[in-house]
Amino acid sequence: MTTPLDTIKKKRAEAINRILSKGYLSTKRVYVGMATCEIAAGSKDVMEVFESAIKKEGLTDVYLSQKGCAGRCNLEPTVEVVEEGKIPIKYGKVTREMARQIIDQHLKKGEAIKEWTIK
Amino acid sequence: MPRKYVITLCDGPTCIHKRSKELETAIETELARHELSGRVSINLSGCLGMCAKGPVMAVNPQYTVYGNVTADDIPEIISSHILKNKPVARLCIDEDHLYNRFFRVFGDVNFFGKQMRIVLRNCGIIDPENIDDYLSVRGYEALAKVLTEMKPADVITQVKISGLRGRGGAGFPTGIKWELTARQKTDEKFLICNADEGDPGAFMDRSTIEGDPHTVLEGMIIGAYAVGATKGFIYIRAEYPLAIRRLEKAIADARREGFLGENILGSDFSFDIEIRLGAGAFVCGEETALIHSIEGHRGMPRPRPPYPSVQGLFDKPTLINNVETWANIPVIILDGAEWFSSIGTEKSKGTKVFALAGKIKNTGLIEVPMGMTLRSIIYDIGGGIPNNKKFKALQTGGPSGGCLSEDYLDTKIDYESLAAAGSIMGSGGMIVMDEDSCMVNIARFFLEFTQNESCGKCTPCREGTKRMLEILTRITEGKGQEGDIERLERLGNLIKKASLCGLGQSAPNPVLSTIKNFRSEYEDHIKLKKCRAGACTALTGYEITDKCVGCTACKKACPVGAITGNPKSLHLIDQGKCVRCGLCFDTCKFSAIKRS
Repeated sequence: MTTPLDTIKKKRAEAINRILSKGYLSTKRVYVGMATCEIAAGSKDVMEVFESAIKKEGLTDVYLSQKGCAGRCNLEPTVEVVEEGKIPIKYGKVTREMARQIIDQHLKKGEAIKEWTIK
Repeated sequence: MPRKYVITLCDGPTCIHKRSKELETAIETELARHELSGRVSINLSGCLGMCAKGPVMAVNPQYTVYGNVTADDIPEIISSHILKNKPVARLCIDEDHLYNRFFRVFGDVNFFGKQMRIVLRNCGIIDPENIDDYLSVRGYEALAKVLTEMKPADVITQVKISGLRGRGGAGFPTGIKWELTARQKTDEKFLICNADEGDPGAFMDRSTIEGDPHTVLEGMIIGAYAVGATKGFIYIRAEYPLAIRRLEKAIADARREGFLGENILGSDFSFDIEIRLGAGAFVCGEETALIHSIEGHRGMPRPRPPYPSVQGLFDKPTLINNVETWANIPVIILDGAEWFSSIGTEKSKGTKVFALAGKIKNTGLIEVPMGMTLRSIIYDIGGGIPNNKKFKALQTGGPSGGCLSEDYLDTKIDYESLAAAGSIMGSGGMIVMDEDSCMVNIARFFLEFTQNESCGKCTPCREGTKRMLEILTRITEGKGQEGDIERLERLGNLIKKASLCGLGQSAPNPVLSTIKNFRSEYEDHIKLKKCRAGACTALTGYEITDKCVGCTACKKACPVGAITGNPKSLHLIDQGKCVRCGLCFDTCKFSAIKRS
């Protein structure tokens, strides 16, 4: 008989597969804060810039996701760029223009923009 | 060139006791020897929750955790892990605690590194609207474990062992509350999640729900199994539209996956959850008023007992817990009640989420282990007071709490210590005030809030808070009378004792605690008609001294045209026109304006 634990393990494996099929293993994962506080600080604009860039410029090695609020209110909107094996880069107070530059410099050329990171 | 690393060294009390300081020195020496200091940073964290295996350190990226580390192990860790990227297997501890994941992303930032995230473990690292993300981080595994291996009574025992206490503010032991509800023999029982977060400046519940709604649902389903409830309600205020939308989606997804509804995960246990929207009345956070509101009545409290666990929603036994309490449950089940109870102080276990606001550099939402000092929260995590101002007071617990002066900064966060200091844990609002804040005015602000929100059912709260507010208002307007302080104290204590519910019983706290800790400020207002912070406009005046160089900056800044004077000559404020906004004071670059 399948127990609830068996079921959940199966469900988790399926969930992980679905996430992987969306490109989770891409070289770079980008997380944009989308809680009420982040949205109030302007994160919807930032999300839009990333979304359209990924679509229009064919950034196939980028996985984009929204996230809740990590708690750094005075530095919102926040964006994280996570790469396997590297310390995740965390940007604060990201604007449309900054998002554009993060795409050109960090996502395309692999150069993190140090001045904008949260310490 | 070796890659960049961040070493996180546990700076919790147990690890310090086990000589973590020696490790810090050893690491620094070793890094200097290999000329690695620029590539590796050391970060002291709060308790990492692995005290039994301390001293503990973690190396990011990957968040490899080393336990029982001695100074002799450091050269090996540096030469193998840092230089060759080969973790030292013999020292690795495989502690896959649920909260570790957060620190893989954020552990190197001081603000986060000093925290411990149990409730907010997934907030900011998963997509809250995708149930797959929650499942991938062992979501709903606690529920499956409970349904597979545990009887309802076992679940209650675990919650009791964990030492978890209600996070809504009062701190009632959660396990005992569950047991009381489970003991009732009726055909139907209900379960409620109290998400009616109403304290000004507090947003713990909103962030938890917006960042990780499924953890709240999972906690509730486990609770329902433990006490035998068949139907649950989440009471949330309509001002939180995004949180509501995410909850609705989470509930729909959970139903589709078989975590809610009939025969959950193939077991014979059935339970479902509905959302009820509140209109934003503060009193509806009180459990009996909240129950009335769900029933469709006016949100007013009733005397207890009977407690909701005996007679609650629709007169049936009802288990009611706060959002944060529910969010702790899955961790207690998966990481173990003993582990949970190893964090915190003797009587307060686990962590607490606080909304840090006011005059502080790093405002934000933080989660810290119980037992951390207020000083550590304000200076280590909060970064201290901005603009080199001086710390004056800390307000905890929102309108029901109190103001603590500098003397109390070494108070440890737990229910009893905060109560002994004259404040309360409350739901988690924490407002820092600097020298520019007037304590009388702050007390008046909070009392005005509770007075507005008083439901009017019982006389002490309805009439008493009104009279207290009148007295406070006249003090701030410079019309205070001899004996007003004593009048406030007498009235405040009476309201505390005689009010029907928690709103009235705690409403005088901000006033009584500021009188206790800042009595001289009240005396200044009443006797000298002076507000030393310059916050009470009726008691503040501005004058231009002969330091004035006639730069005209103040004249341009004044919104009512009260300042006259020609360029390069002394300016003058027309006291009749002045509205005491203080803009001229802030604008003047020559300290030529005096506030009195």
